[in-house]
Amino acid sequence: MGGEYGVPGVGPGTGAVMNADAAGARAAAVALAQSVHEVVERLFADLEPLRVAVEDLYVALPRPRAADLAQLRDVIGTTLAAAPDLVVGAGHVPAGDALADRTRWLEWWTVTSGPPPRRLLPDAGPSEEHLDYTRQPWFTVPARTGARHVTGPYVDYFCTDDYTLTLTVPVRREGRFVGVVGSDVSVANVERLVLPRLRALGPRAALVNDRGRVVVSTSVREATGSIVRSPDVAASWHDDDGPVIRCGDFPLGVLRTREHFPGS
Amino acid sequence: MRPLGAPGAPLARSTVFAPLDQLGRAEAVVRRLRDAITVGLLADGEPLPAEADLADLLGVATVTIREALVTLRSEGLVDTRRGRGGGSFVRHPVGVGLAAQRERLRSLTLAEIRDVGDHYTAIAGAAARLAAERSSPAEVEAVRDGLDGVSSAGPGGLHRVERAFHLEVAAATQSARLTRSEVLLQGEIGMLLWLAPDMDGAVGPARAAHGAILDAVRDADAARARALTEAHVQEAVERLAELRLAESDGR
Repeated sequence: MGGEYGVPGVGPGTGAVMNADAAGARAAAVALAQSVHEVVERLFADLEPLRVAVEDLYVALPRPRAADLAQLRDVIGTTLAAAPDLVVGAGHVPAGDALADRTRWLEWWTVTSGPPPRRLLPDAGPSEEHLDYTRQPWFTVPARTGARHVTGPYVDYFCTDDYTLTLTVPVRREGRFVGVVGSDVSVANVERLVLPRLRALGPRAALVNDRGRVVVSTSVREATGSIVRSPDVAASWHDDDGPVIRCGDFPLGVLRTREHFPGS
Repeated sequence: MRPLGAPGAPLARSTVFAPLDQLGRAEAVVRRLRDAITVGLLADGEPLPAEADLADLLGVATVTIREALVTLRSEGLVDTRRGRGGGSFVRHPVGVGLAAQRERLRSLTLAEIRDVGDHYTAIAGAAARLAAERSSPAEVEAVRDGLDGVSSAGPGGLHRVERAFHLEVAAATQSARLTRSEVLLQGEIGMLLWLAPDMDGAVGPARAAHGAILDAVRDADAARARALTEAHVQEAVERLAELRLAESDGR
């Protein structure tokens, strides 16, 4: 961890927080949720220059060819370099009818094997239907809602081949959806960033998604990728006094259970 | 065990002394391009980038690309033409049916089929167990809907349906390693494993078996999900072994 993406505040020697009363513990969890919220906001802000570059490209070339997307190489590199401690991939994925010569294309660059960035030639999915990324939530949700989206954690067999959170933003030209820009954040990197502060919250604290899927947990029995079944995170997601403190409007939250925070 | 330099082990010996890094890389390049071609990401007849550009894109040496192209040519997935307008072109496999795969099937021994079958049974069974432990019912239904949309039309239909199913189950484990193992094994044996003498007749039972496994996953019944999956894969392995036996009769 480190750089400007370091979660500020509680570091080692936070025994005082662990032993604090319930209100103090809740405040620490709220602060962590806030920090995660800010980091994710920053990652979306890092995507903005890429979104603008893609938008400009489609204005200059209403139906570009796949090769034209090579123009995006520099700005994608900048996106990757903005958060090297978190982001392992970034790029643009066009809608099926956006390019003149292709119905599917991934202008996606990764640093999973270290710099310099490499363009992804995806390991193939099981079929044309699955390679058709118009079924992947990181593509379908922004296409449908017109809003940014956080997908995961999930095994990204499509791109990074790893356990991943994917952030995507829709791109429009004259109101028409032309694709998404996005970045891949490795769950391992999120863990490095968040685990010390989760530990300070107590023996059973976790960063989860809105389905209760664990991103990082301090309980070995609720490992990364498992679903917390009790409490029912999905059912209590919008409950302000519930076990989860949401990270803004993102589908991520800090789980604090009542049994460990009695009286809260 | 045979000593390294003994007669009868020329392949093993040459493999041992191949440059480590490049060896793995050529295989990785082959796998990526093969998968991209067989599932149609790269179109039939499409020119591949020049060797130097491919090397640059994939971050490997040009010699590695050359080596990978040799393999792909031998598999009939790439065509190289010389001279003006030459280069390497994608060739879609003309049929993934039994006839097209006979040559490959003949090259396999029954021992190899059993061995890869054991490996695949272990991976698929473990994946089903973990998927049952780690999936929410809603996710299972989303997978089911997605699979319903996978077309089984054409000679590669069974393969397509099976491959999609097993990959979804593997991804549902939330384990990147298990998913990679699944993809790797599918690439290695999938096309043969999901061959059937009667392709049209095989898709219905396959979908029914998948449905039963997904029911177990949805019910978070890890033991049942695993047992059903192992039986399902074992059935395919036995079918493949039967086909192999029939091949030897015909010669």
